[in-house]
Amino acid sequence: MKVKLWGTRGSVPSPGPETIRYGGNTSCVGVTLSDGSLLALDAGTGIRNLGLSLPAEPTRLHILLTHLHLDHIQGLVFFAPAFRAQTEIVIWGPASPEASLRDRIARYISAPLSPVEVRELPCDVSFRHTPETEWEIGSARIRAASVAHRGPTLGYRIDDGEDSLAYIPDHEPALGADLEALGEDWISGFALARDASLLIHDGQYADAEYPDHIGWGHSSLSHTLSFARRTGAARTVLFHHDPLHSDERLDRLGAEARERWESAGGRPGSIELGVEGAEYEVQGQSRSAAPAV
Amino acid sequence: MPQSQKPLELILARNLMSALSTPAFLVDEGGLLVFYNEAAGMLLGKRFEELGSVGPQEWGSMFGPFDESGEPIPYDELPLVVAVRNGRPAHASFEICSTDGSRHTVEASAFPILTAHGTRGAIAVFWPSSANGSGSQS
Repeated sequence: MKVKLWGTRGSVPSPGPETIRYGGNTSCVGVTLSDGSLLALDAGTGIRNLGLSLPAEPTRLHILLTHLHLDHIQGLVFFAPAFRAQTEIVIWGPASPEASLRDRIARYISAPLSPVEVRELPCDVSFRHTPETEWEIGSARIRAASVAHRGPTLGYRIDDGEDSLAYIPDHEPALGADLEALGEDWISGFALARDASLLIHDGQYADAEYPDHIGWGHSSLSHTLSFARRTGAARTVLFHHDPLHSDERLDRLGAEARERWESAGGRPGSIELGVEGAEYEVQGQSRSAAPAV
Repeated sequence: MPQSQKPLELILARNLMSALSTPAFLVDEGGLLVFYNEAAGMLLGKRFEELGSVGPQEWGSMFGPFDESGEPIPYDELPLVVAVRNGRPAHASFEICSTDGSRHTVEASAFPILTAHGTRGAIAVFWPSSANGSGSQS
């Protein structure tokens, strides 16, 4: 399974000289399964470049949306394959009692917010609510589960042979709870991330920033380190960077993450900050050295 | 792929209940008591961490509840059970017995936790109307 980060920023696109290394595009991760099937995890502005990277030939791909906040769907109307008749796109997302997935997405892909309507897209696009049980796409088994964020929000786990990817970009598992004290089955997102080969997880705030953002649906560095340790993910990528965090600020945050992880016994090199354009070859399912962070 | 995980709705309910001073109880979709908060623990005389998850029979043998004549109330008639089985709110007044033998009259209101995928469980809040069992019942 191959993974590429096309957008690592949270909340709002943040282009500019201060964010050029970690990137300013919002959430999007491309996944190529072992059988060649293509997935896009979220459709933030990063999906625009993902679309441009695909050849202009008949393509079938699945877009797995964690939720419908704008930083996770804004790139949909700039996704070039959606404007080709030979493309088939299946969009998965959370169910809501209020309206169908299609109708909720159409609020964005419609006037006056968009120059095109969903019905005008030339591609063959369908919308599906994620099932409660796991399902198959190509060579992978997919599982979606609700996680702690604001509004209906999913995390995903993708198992392809022995390789596993957990994607939980917007997550506040420590809201009203002590992650270190909770039983495993009471931790939001735990089953998705348990022993994953690669965990891509919310790392929006430094610890000092979190008290001013309690309930906003995101994690502090301490929360992410604790979640990674408890779940035993072999490798963790901090994701959904705060738009106010410059490259220099993120360098310092990444250094702190590595230092705390390794000084507590974590395997060196097994935790890092997500960088736009970074690629991973996800292999194996090995439990990381479990540090006490 | 790992499967064992409490539904998010129960996780969030537990987190909220942990911050409340009102005695509150949480059952899963099968009616198993999966959590009660510190205020409820004070009422019962035993913290949840000491008791753990219990089924209705064990719960009934320890805490009741009892009607005004002191008879055990059938499990099916408890507000939490009505809420989780029927998917609607329920309310009742009854007595419970704490671990020190004292009886407390409480008002109990329960409501189901409904999601797009069905009932996940139910929450009940207890409002003590008497600390010594001599209070009137509604």
